[in-house]
Amino acid sequence: MKHDHDHPHPHDHDHDHGHGHGHGEPTLAAAAAPTPVLAEDASSQALEEALRSSFFIVKLAMVIMVLVFLGSGFFTVGPQEKAVILRFGRPVGEGQKALLTAGLHWAFPYPIDEVVKIPITESQVISSTVGWYFTTPEQELSGEELPPGQGLNPAIDGYLITADRNIVHSRATIHYHIVDPLHYVFDFTNASVAVQNALNTALVATAARFKVDDIYPDNIAFQDAVLQRVTELADEENLGISVELGDVHSIPPRQLTAAFTQVTTARENRNKLLNDAQSYKNQMVSSSSAQAVTITNRAATDRDNYVKSLTAEAKRFTDLLPQYEKYPNLFAQQQLVLAMAQVLTNVQGKMFLPERQDGKPRELRLQLNREPPQKKTGAAGQ
Amino acid sequence: MNRNVLTLVIGAVLVVIFALLLFVFQVRKSEVAVVTTFGRPVNNITEPGPYFKWPWPVQNVYKFDQRVQNFEDKFSQTFTADNNTLLLSVYVGWKISDASAFFRKIPGASVPAAQQLLEGILRNSKNQVIGKHPLSELVNANPADLKFEEIETNILQAVVSELSTNNYGIEIQFLGIKKLGLPDSVVQTVFQRMTSERQVLISKLQYDGEAQATIIKSAADRQASETVNNAVATATRIRAEGEAEAAQTLPTFERNPQLANFLLRVDALKQSLDQRSTLIFDERTAPFDLFRSLPANPPSQ
Repeated sequence: MKHDHDHPHPHDHDHDHGHGHGHGEPTLAAAAAPTPVLAEDASSQALEEALRSSFFIVKLAMVIMVLVFLGSGFFTVGPQEKAVILRFGRPVGEGQKALLTAGLHWAFPYPIDEVVKIPITESQVISSTVGWYFTTPEQELSGEELPPGQGLNPAIDGYLITADRNIVHSRATIHYHIVDPLHYVFDFTNASVAVQNALNTALVATAARFKVDDIYPDNIAFQDAVLQRVTELADEENLGISVELGDVHSIPPRQLTAAFTQVTTARENRNKLLNDAQSYKNQMVSSSSAQAVTITNRAATDRDNYVKSLTAEAKRFTDLLPQYEKYPNLFAQQQLVLAMAQVLTNVQGKMFLPERQDGKPRELRLQLNREPPQKKTGAAGQ
Repeated sequence: MNRNVLTLVIGAVLVVIFALLLFVFQVRKSEVAVVTTFGRPVNNITEPGPYFKWPWPVQNVYKFDQRVQNFEDKFSQTFTADNNTLLLSVYVGWKISDASAFFRKIPGASVPAAQQLLEGILRNSKNQVIGKHPLSELVNANPADLKFEEIETNILQAVVSELSTNNYGIEIQFLGIKKLGLPDSVVQTVFQRMTSERQVLISKLQYDGEAQATIIKSAADRQASETVNNAVATATRIRAEGEAEAAQTLPTFERNPQLANFLLRVDALKQSLDQRSTLIFDERTAPFDLFRSLPANPPSQ
């Protein structure tokens, strides 16, 4: 209402001015004429001349003003934005056609048209700290945080309650782009807050069905569930956005950092034990299979050797048989002597005991201590 | 003369503009408007565009933002059905759906007044709905028992029915639980419980790791000995095959068992008397029988 009232005024003035000048010349001339009755013709002519030229300047100024007025209808749309022209409050064009892209455009000046610019950066970023403890942006930047207090202040410290009724801190950041700019701008006072609330509730609702050990250390399943919920909510709430990617980071309450670190250490120890056992297993498997192959190979070799040697024996037997059948005794003695020759070459100790002259058997005493007895005492001494 | 016509045209245009400004008003795309005649609402405008009205003081135009506005209630205490204390905050997206109702019902037709009203309705609705559900339906690892979204829907329904009963001209677009918390004293006990849960987890991990490692190792041992035993069995079988194959040569030796026997004994002699043996012999042993007697005539057959 106020608006409607304000505007007539400047126009009223314009109107008065325009009128004044339109009639200015005769009025002023009439007013000037009676006063200086004794004025010379020349001076009145000079005055008229001056008025005429100043009137021309005013007319020129008016034309320029009109041009400027019309020219003010030009506007540019940047590469990171779109624009909509509202003619008498109603968008010009339907749906996506109403969107003006980057470049120079023209619209009627106010109050006929209104240009609404919509920033559309490649992607918008929004974070949720509903589940994060209290920090200021300065602390965030410097990395220095206040030491955790005894508990959590519900008024300022955020956290999430997990499915097993534990407490974790989580924060999420999503990148999204605006799919429906008209909807985003004309149907929401602040759509980014609506997006943030969707992210908040997605975090709270997702944490309510995840156990703490499925949230921390950072679990991709939890992150995916949060992002999926945000995407669903953005659809349900018809926010006109599309979630591109996001990131969820969780930590245990800082008051319990030590306990959680111990669990991590225990988990690492366990993994190490299992890895060691696994490598022991691998080693055992490969060494035993190597051993198995050795055993079977040796058996195969033995078999081959045995068969071959027996075959060779058989061949030798077959070769020798005719000779033996001809001269059995001679053959036997020959073989025996050959064998003895070989035996005597190899044998270390040879003792020749000639027969006693009287033909009685000789008594022979053997001290059988080939294995040195000191080995035993040596073992005992150690 | 010409100049006068121009002047008149300009004057007429200006009068028309002035009249339009007095008699016409715009409703922007994001707005709804109520037109009142002497204070009484007569026209409810929901579509954007230019509209006619009688100038003040006959008719007045009240415009309202009809976009979805964000609001959340205070993070306040509420009790679950099983008497747990919870802190809960609910957010809503609301908009003015019926401008004339909004104009009539909301004091001053202002957004803060509407939000104050919403605050009360939200608190009542959430207390009422949360009071019907145990905590286990708000947080639960089992999706079948979890009723988080159902609870949100129930709160939304309660708010919507309250709003429509009184016809405030307000519409709720969406509602969600923004924040969930526990009172400070409960947080302390939760911390204690979490610490002991961690301890349990640590010892469990420790023993579980050792047990698993032992299982893996003993399985490996068993597998290894099985492999070796199998190999030994295979080896025995291979040797038996060899013996079976070798047995095929026996008929050859049977042609003259005497010779076979003799050859075997000679071989045994050769093998048994190796380098580490000592041989004691007399002159009756061949070839040392040479010492006793030189061969005379060849032995007769």
